[in-house]
Amino acid sequence: MINVWRLTKLQLLSSFGLNKALHTKDSAQRRKALLLSIAMIAGILMIGAVSFGYSFMMAQSFEQLGRMDLLLAVMMAVTSLVGFFTTVYKASGVLFSYKDYDMIMSLPVKTSHVVASRVLQLYVMNLFFTLLVMLPAGAVYAIHVKPGVLFYLFFLLTLFFITLLPIIAATLVGTLISWVSSRFRASKILNMILTFAFIIILMLGSFTLNQGQQAIADVGAALGDMIFKVYPPASLYVDAVCSYRVSALLFFIAVSVLVFMLFSILLATRYKAIHTGLMTSRASRGYTMKPLQANSAFKALYLKELRRYFSSVNYVLNTGIGMVLLLMMSISLLFVSSEQLGTILDIPQLSDSLSTLSPLVISLFVVLSCTTACSISLEGNHLWILTSSPVPKPAIVFSKVAVNLTITLPITAVSWGLLAYTLHAGWMESILMLAVPVIYACYSALLGVMVNLKLPKLDWTSEVAAIKQSASVLVTMVIGVLTLAVPAVLFMLLPGMDGNLILLGYCILMAAVCAGMYRYIQINGERLFQKL
Amino acid sequence: MLTIRHFTKSYKGGKKAVDDLSLVVERGDIYGFIGHNGAGKTTTIRAVVGVLDFEQGEIEIDGISIKKDPLACKAKLAYIPDNPDLYDHLTGIQYLNFIGDLFSVSGANRERLIGQYGDAFQLTASLGDLISSYSHGMKQKLAIISALIHEPKLLVLDEPFVGLDPKAAHTLKTIMADVCSRGSAIFFSTHVLDTAEKLCNKIAIIKGGRLIAHGKTEEVRGENSLEDVFMELIDHD
Repeated sequence: MINVWRLTKLQLLSSFGLNKALHTKDSAQRRKALLLSIAMIAGILMIGAVSFGYSFMMAQSFEQLGRMDLLLAVMMAVTSLVGFFTTVYKASGVLFSYKDYDMIMSLPVKTSHVVASRVLQLYVMNLFFTLLVMLPAGAVYAIHVKPGVLFYLFFLLTLFFITLLPIIAATLVGTLISWVSSRFRASKILNMILTFAFIIILMLGSFTLNQGQQAIADVGAALGDMIFKVYPPASLYVDAVCSYRVSALLFFIAVSVLVFMLFSILLATRYKAIHTGLMTSRASRGYTMKPLQANSAFKALYLKELRRYFSSVNYVLNTGIGMVLLLMMSISLLFVSSEQLGTILDIPQLSDSLSTLSPLVISLFVVLSCTTACSISLEGNHLWILTSSPVPKPAIVFSKVAVNLTITLPITAVSWGLLAYTLHAGWMESILMLAVPVIYACYSALLGVMVNLKLPKLDWTSEVAAIKQSASVLVTMVIGVLTLAVPAVLFMLLPGMDGNLILLGYCILMAAVCAGMYRYIQINGERLFQKL
Repeated sequence: MLTIRHFTKSYKGGKKAVDDLSLVVERGDIYGFIGHNGAGKTTTIRAVVGVLDFEQGEIEIDGISIKKDPLACKAKLAYIPDNPDLYDHLTGIQYLNFIGDLFSVSGANRERLIGQYGDAFQLTASLGDLISSYSHGMKQKLAIISALIHEPKLLVLDEPFVGLDPKAAHTLKTIMADVCSRGSAIFFSTHVLDTAEKLCNKIAIIKGGRLIAHGKTEEVRGENSLEDVFMELIDHD
């Protein structure tokens, strides 16, 4: 088992630039790492505070129902489901797609231990989220219930096992998709389609379940039933932590660990075959020279970047999910009126404000689909091709921005058409519904590439490390969402003011910010690239 | 074609990777750059091709400063690193076409040169396959072809023979001689002293970041073999 830990440690050290920060002698790098750590700690504290506040508000309702145990049940189920959803589409990448596969597999280590170390990497990524949700929930529970010492012991012990089962389930789905895809020639495209299809089906399924349970959702017992039905291990967890049942505790831990071990052993038997199927490229060796078309440098860079995007399952799944969800939402609103939506979500005035809010909602999906935040990092060892080429570096940067806009703008335009029709938006709302997301698409793409130039991660061994675990992606996401929160806060602070006017003003401001960023890259692109 | 004057590169902490290096590569030269591991060869080469920033000294390509006008310099040179990582998601021909676009090579010229060098390295039939399916040697051949299709005035190669089979290595030597006979110049690092001795008309030996010998091959070598001179200089200088 010591080898599992050694391999996991190796992967974790390369995550978030941890090892580099610990060992670098470059004071500028150290300063950057320190600032990033401070920003991350501040972010964690903020999320922890929000999580605590959310648990506190929920606890008041549960206390009235006399079912405080449901607080932990709900939070545990939410943590598990979020962990499951976020792991499904990165499982394949973490398990099978890493550069040092040959080196790792040639070591005298059991394949099951290699699999276990890859799953543990996914586990650690999710553990942070579990701690951020469960620790505040546990604190709120303790404040309200004032439980005995056993609660603290059982609660802390189970914290480390909550996320294991959902991770295994998600990894199992990811592996099955990879296994099916690996048997076909177009394995990458099939992998993308199957993963997206699975997520869409699961979301539609959960939506149907919510509707069915809506009428009885306010009754404590029924709510408990619903949670335990959606996620049965929550029942075991509540029995262990709230009722101090040792048998439930041991069963919960044993099931989690056994499933983890069983999965590692079983996957080990097919691991090499799946990897080979996914990673092997077919060679025809039958090419004959054909006429070649010359393009401008920018078009060549754009086409290269577009091919790069669609060649990576991880890249498409992680950055394309926002656009898929936006399209799904726009289409589903064709069948549910805004009044019905307000009733379902229990927000009576929703239909009045939906037209005004929709530009920000669309923009949120656009911000989630930023492809540029890891586009420089993904150049990795290929960077020499661009740095040694006689092309102005801003052109390289803008080609990456252009690819992001190619991904976001067409779907944004289609969704705009659908939403403007279904929400019966007026002319001003319609214009803003298109203009705000388009400006945010430009803003997010420019911001992503600028942050990535400042915080590159070029030494990755698995591209998931650049796409999912890099500081650049995290910082871009946080800044993007915070920028979206500004007009939303203005709406709340200025209730008497016309929402469209606020959005229009903000729109002009963001357009100016985009122009500033464009100019900044034009002037400083060469220097920033040289520093990579 | 290439002039390096008092080039010095220090890394963080003040350690000098290259110290006061000066040399001149003229048109038609095949200039070998020799040194043990960590001597400063790759650092010098990366500065020459403009991918590594430096503070002291001057490097000029065909009379143009790499610091002042890097794009004009890069348009005149071709670079192949010691372990060329290429875009695995592109096919061989897509990669060559991409490089052709970046260096503004006309359609007719790139077709002619890709055909010519593709056949020379026996790679034409594989150009329609993804680079991810290529062996290490095939990737090396593709990188060499990509360096040749824009007819550079200066070829800068870091260990170009690593990974090549004997036939491809022979082809490369022939092409190098041919390119230089047409007025271009080649500056390359190698550990294969026998190849350097036979192929290069000029040689520079670097040790601990300092140039310890340079000039015409026969002058550096004297009556001895290049290997003997290299060992003598490295052990006792």
